[in-house]
Amino acid sequence: MLLDLPSTRTEAWRWSDLSALPEIAQRAKSGVVPTALPWIDCGSESPRLVFVDGRYDEARSKAGPIQIGRVLASAPDHALARLAGQQGWSLKLGEGHAAPGLIQIVHLTSGAADHLAAEIVLEADAQASIAETYMGEGWTNRLTVIALAKGARLMLNRRMLGAGGFVSLTDRADVGEGASLTVATLAAGGNDSRVDSQINLSGQTAFAEIGGALLARGRQRHDANLVLRHDAIGGASRQMWRSVADDRATASVAARVEVARGAQKTDGVQSLKGLLLARSATVNLKPELEIFADDVKCAHGATVGELDRNTLFYLASRGIGESEAKALLTQAFVADAIDRIGEEAVREAYATDVINWFSQSSLVPSEVEGRS
Amino acid sequence: MLKIENLHAEIDGKQILNGLTLSVGAGEVHAIMGPNGAGKSTLGYVLGGRPGYEVTQGSVSFEGQDLLDMAANERAAAGLFLGFQYPVEIPGVSNVQFLRTALNSQRRARGEAEISAGDFLRLSKAEGEALGMSMDMLKRNVNVGFSGGEKKRNEMVQMGVIDPKLAVLDETDSGLDIDALRVVGDGINRIMRQPHKAVLLITHYQRLLDIVAPDFVHVLADGRIVRSGGPELALQLEREGYGAIAA
Ligand SMILES: Nc1ncnc2c1ncn2[C@@H]1O[C@H](COP(=O)(O)OP(=O)(O)OP(=O)(O)O)[C@@H](O)[C@H]1O
Ligand SMILES: [Mg+2]
Repeated sequence: MLLDLPSTRTEAWRWSDLSALPEIAQRAKSGVVPTALPWIDCGSESPRLVFVDGRYDEARSKAGPIQIGRVLASAPDHALARLAGQQGWSLKLGEGHAAPGLIQIVHLTSGAADHLAAEIVLEADAQASIAETYMGEGWTNRLTVIALAKGARLMLNRRMLGAGGFVSLTDRADVGEGASLTVATLAAGGNDSRVDSQINLSGQTAFAEIGGALLARGRQRHDANLVLRHDAIGGASRQMWRSVADDRATASVAARVEVARGAQKTDGVQSLKGLLLARSATVNLKPELEIFADDVKCAHGATVGELDRNTLFYLASRGIGESEAKALLTQAFVADAIDRIGEEAVREAYATDVINWFSQSSLVPSEVEGRS
Repeated sequence: MLKIENLHAEIDGKQILNGLTLSVGAGEVHAIMGPNGAGKSTLGYVLGGRPGYEVTQGSVSFEGQDLLDMAANERAAAGLFLGFQYPVEIPGVSNVQFLRTALNSQRRARGEAEISAGDFLRLSKAEGEALGMSMDMLKRNVNVGFSGGEKKRNEMVQMGVIDPKLAVLDETDSGLDIDALRVVGDGINRIMRQPHKAVLLITHYQRLLDIVAPDFVHVLADGRIVRSGGPELALQLEREGYGAIAA
């Protein structure tokens, strides 16, 4: 496939580096599936689905209410999402229905590129919780289209734990009256990533919370781009992002809140923070507010800092060495974002992923390659 | 146990310690007193291995090892504990998490097995109780929102859990009310008054020395020890001030 990719000269893509994608797309697929998949232990017999290189692995899956097949989702205007095609999975819940437990989906890529679309449609007062985990080393490209009717609730958790490669996730969501959408994203693997979420709060008193933690090291790049648009009265949105970069890595978040003329009484909170674990690392934060209504409450802040020297010495004086101190303080730093996850099993899985990210770093010496 | 010889140290190019010599034997408690700005905290930081404090001359040996050659966390694992004049707040990290990480880091560095979750809980609870710190407080973030006195008591809880050989306590008594002073003083005696341990007690006041009776008292002025004596020296200082004695 000939890839026509945007360059970093395009404003919306300036913090992403897509130059490796053509090479990743050529990598051979091994098709190998590890025996242990990173399922979140939530105690119940809830649905579990596995996609291997973009193909539904029926033998390893229990689909529950998820349907596999043709999906009506497209985003022709998005350079990556337009490749997603019409195949994938969908979740459609009728009025008042609740999906059973936490629906888990593992996307495993053994090489090359795979593209899938997904559609989530919740009718009035329907409810679902989904956790998607991305692993492997190819390029995983996904488009997810979400429609929440009045009073519907969706919790979407994404964990990127790839050994390498690239994960691109594009979301288009419409949140209806009194409906609630929560998306919690964690990047704690070795892959690069690009996340684009465009969320419309189209109904009155709709709620959306989009947040997460991006951990980058070596020459990794994570780039999250979020647009929350308030179109109706009384909506509330929360964006809580924590970006951490070590070595020569880059972690970027561009978060935008748009409040349309009629969207009075909007309550928007945005908190973007970055932590540099090395002077050679980069964190880019771009908070944006665009407000056309006059009676709104929007708070936003963006700060980037380093680990505090006093604190590091205090930890050292108690016997805690530098790498462990880094891990401990980074966990504390991202806790703001992770502690907001409502489901305990998911929250704990994310916390463990963060700890694992640090223990992996000591095992991979190539991560500090290029450091002088 | 600790042998400091002709120690010269500077920070940001400014000379603070000017040939400090001091020996501390096992089982001893030494009090260090001296005017503000004399270099008492600097001595603690240099012993603790704080980055930015540069030793330009002299030596420090701790149980026969060259202390200055070790990283700060290695010094802790070797048995040195520094009680801070201004304990640091660590948002997002609970006291128990902090203590357990510290204890296990030290144990790993010494080639010992890590402490089990149950043993750790019992130990931290017992030390907390002895120093009037509830489990609720131990679950809170390190020193965040703690009063000045609570922070100092927390230093002692850490000392109790870590169980060091040598404690350098920098004004652990300042900011304590009368009852807390008693609790902390008793804590120092209980944890550190042992034949194989030693304490360097930096203080401005006799009232702590009434509880933790020192074997030796030193006056530190202008970056060196200018006078040493027994417990009576502290009493004399209290009566006469530093002017007459340090001059
Ligand atoms: N970063 C620094 N740069 C320059 N001078 C410093 C620095 N830090 C400390 N000093 C100076 O070193 C001297 C010794 O300070 P130190 O904190 O050791 O005194 P102290 O004896 O502990 O005093 P106190 O009784 O007030 O606690 C002081 O004059 C102080 O101003
Ligand atoms: Mg001092």
